[in-house]
Amino acid sequence: MKDKRSKFYSSIALLLRIHPEFGALLALVLVFIVFCFTATRFLSLESLAGIVTVASELGIVAAGITFLMITGEFDLSVGSTFGFSAMILALTANAGIPLWIGFLLALAAAFFIGLINGIITVKYKIPSFITTLGTLMFWRGILLAVTGGFAVRYWGTSSFLNGLNGHFLGEFRISSIWFFIVIFLLNIILTKTPYGNSTYATGGNKEAARVLGISVDKVKIINFVICAVLAGLAGCIQFARFKSVDPLRGTGMELEAIAAVVVGGTLMSGGYGNLIGTLFGVLLMGMVRSGLIMSGAPAYWYQAFIGIILILAVITNTKLKGWAIK
Amino acid sequence: MKTNLKSRLFLMLVSVCLLTLIFGTLVEAETFNFYVVSHGGPGDPFWGVVMKGMKEGAEAITKGTGDTINATYSGPAKYSVEELINMLNSAIATKPDGIAVTITDPAALDAPLRKAIAAGIPVIAINVPDSRPEAERIPYLFYIGGDEYLSGKKAAQRILTVRKPKRAVVTIHEIGHMGLELRAKGFIEVMTANGVPAEKLATYLDPTQAIEILKGYFAKNPDTDAIFTLGSIDSSYVITFLKEQGLAGEVVHGAFDVSDEVVHSIKEGTTLFTISQQQYLQGYLPMQFLYLFNKYKFLPANDILTGPGFVDASNVKDVEELVMQKYW
Repeated sequence: MKDKRSKFYSSIALLLRIHPEFGALLALVLVFIVFCFTATRFLSLESLAGIVTVASELGIVAAGITFLMITGEFDLSVGSTFGFSAMILALTANAGIPLWIGFLLALAAAFFIGLINGIITVKYKIPSFITTLGTLMFWRGILLAVTGGFAVRYWGTSSFLNGLNGHFLGEFRISSIWFFIVIFLLNIILTKTPYGNSTYATGGNKEAARVLGISVDKVKIINFVICAVLAGLAGCIQFARFKSVDPLRGTGMELEAIAAVVVGGTLMSGGYGNLIGTLFGVLLMGMVRSGLIMSGAPAYWYQAFIGIILILAVITNTKLKGWAIK
Repeated sequence: MKTNLKSRLFLMLVSVCLLTLIFGTLVEAETFNFYVVSHGGPGDPFWGVVMKGMKEGAEAITKGTGDTINATYSGPAKYSVEELINMLNSAIATKPDGIAVTITDPAALDAPLRKAIAAGIPVIAINVPDSRPEAERIPYLFYIGGDEYLSGKKAAQRILTVRKPKRAVVTIHEIGHMGLELRAKGFIEVMTANGVPAEKLATYLDPTQAIEILKGYFAKNPDTDAIFTLGSIDSSYVITFLKEQGLAGEVVHGAFDVSDEVVHSIKEGTTLFTISQQQYLQGYLPMQFLYLFNKYKFLPANDILTGPGFVDASNVKDVEELVMQKYW
């Protein structure tokens, strides 16, 4: 009997060790149950669509951050990259350049931003926190200077923009399809390919990774680029819906995305985490926001709740992980 | 005879001297140096309009009177009270003939401004007045600018003239911004006094999240039929929200600040009005008043309110053109 029980515990421990997203899933289920009782019309298709819509744009950004955080690095400049790419799409569209070319240019700009972040961090051995704090300010400053503080609006209509972020199935938006594609592809790369192993190894133990012949610097730079391009993609997707960008677009997004990733169980020190956790993390953020308002709680409380959830999730994850490793 | 001629010549000489002196004084052109020191940088579109007002105000005097006005604008590129103080001190050091300044941080601006006033430099407050009790206020001449609280009240009154809403909501995208909070306060007080439940809704900066917040609010409070937005950022996503949800026209929308999107929305009928503090005047009028004070000691009896000014269906066409020319 005792043997059976210890076998059961050890199998749960193993489950927790290989599934860092467990804590986030638990929180998601708990929050869902609470809101089912407190929030008006929470259990409706519109409400679900709303949660997924919020989670999608944030989630595309957070997916890139997850990849980078597993490598043991940060990107604080994603909010600025988000706004900058959207602005490039808006400006090129207004200049009469075909939208798909503008879209590619916006992604190319994001690629460039990521490359700079990566090269500076790796070559000059500066903590990525500092590098990307600098580029956060730099690109936001460029955005403000170029626009003079004015929002840029595209008045035309286009099927290309509808394809990026139109409607489907009533209230759902195409951004959610992009989000699930991104999560699916990155998850395959992370779990089924040698590159995924290199990413984990780079964040886990750099020296061991080097000994194994992994080019740690290269992996880091590639992940900086992936992170920035995804932030750029999310910016373009949001532009496709609103057809306008203000120079403050994406401000504060980096912290929300990092919070979602951490709630999802990815370790800030690197080497541990996955995308399914991030998926639950962003859904949780979206659910808390919608649920609080539908429950009639003053919206001013949202940040306070997210703060509590963030800390509770990290404590739970750390405890669960500590117990699983024991 | 000789003495007579001498005295006549002397008299003529004196007359000529006196006339030269009198007319010389009358036609001698004067030069005045005025400064506008604000917390907003020249890259901010709002302050771009103020700068334009200042420049054109100074030019108008120079053209119309023959006197010369040298007007200088200074404001930190990024919000910083320290830099505002440094710029103000630099302006005071040049011993100008007048300063127009935003009292963004009364405590920090108190010492340098009192020193300037004691040194005889005329000071006018613009855009933000000294909000402290009257006895503690910096003794500047008067204030030229908007009144945030009054703007909120007027917005509510304007909506009430169209119809009495069942429920009204104010979106706020920068929580804790004093100006926005005062606009919301004025609006909510008038609505509540008229028996309309009204409250603030924090929508933040991200439009996707803002729309879901609005959807959540309307799901919880489906009787909401009036919405007041406090700036061009939240006006933009509220307009999208109303259109996407098919609520345009059903929900009365009052906005703040003038942007091409809001102007377009007023023309379409989605937005009832937008409020402007007509900040062009906050640059233009200080030039006029500082000049009139220096020259003739004229002072208005009261503060001068440049806002709230309304843009609605009645004047939107005229304003549209002026927005392009950066007067609004």
